[in-house]
Amino acid sequence: MKKGDKFQYNFKITDETYNGFISIFNDKNPLHTSHDFATEKGFESKVMHGNILNGFVSYFIGECLPIKNVVIQTQEIKYIKPTYLNDELLFSAEIIDVFESVKMVEIKFVFKNKKEAKVATGKINIGIL
Amino acid sequence: MNTEDIIKEVNSIFIDVLDNDGIIVQYNTTSDDIEEWDSLNHIQLVVAIEKYFKIRFTAAEIVNFNNVGEMCEAIKVKTLAQ
Repeated sequence: MKKGDKFQYNFKITDETYNGFISIFNDKNPLHTSHDFATEKGFESKVMHGNILNGFVSYFIGECLPIKNVVIQTQEIKYIKPTYLNDELLFSAEIIDVFESVKMVEIKFVFKNKKEAKVATGKINIGIL
Repeated sequence: MNTEDIIKEVNSIFIDVLDNDGIIVQYNTTSDDIEEWDSLNHIQLVVAIEKYFKIRFTAAEIVNFNNVGEMCEAIKVKTLAQ
């Protein structure tokens, strides 16, 4: 992997993903579970948990990179727009720096929805084992 | 920038990365002297220092530094060469 390498992957927030997240982490805040509550607060529908996107990032790092000997060392994410059930997201990532002295790769990423609006951006530092 | 000045700059990076305002690094400081300086934070420290000074170390250089001061001497050489 080298500076400038780019990757893309499509994700969808399915019922299985949403219900699985709630089942595992038990975050049933009404913003995430009540259509009426969410619309009263100005959203289109119940808002998906932001950390579902972190799950997608985990999948990308663990399964989509060309090497498997990687570990996430730091990760930051900025949520820009809400995501909703059945949203299809295009995840784009680029290696922006490589620190050979400590075998560390810095990757920036963005999630865009079908309207091509950025819903989240972030940065990940991964160590090469 | 002399070595003492570089140590002061590096001190600020240690405080930021290790999230401890009480850290004071000196020439002879090693990882044994700072509780938060573990293997993971070591990587973050090196990355932060390389970014701040716009330099790159080799893996061999990192391994051979015996203390903060020796690293700062290397930073001085590399920044002067730029």
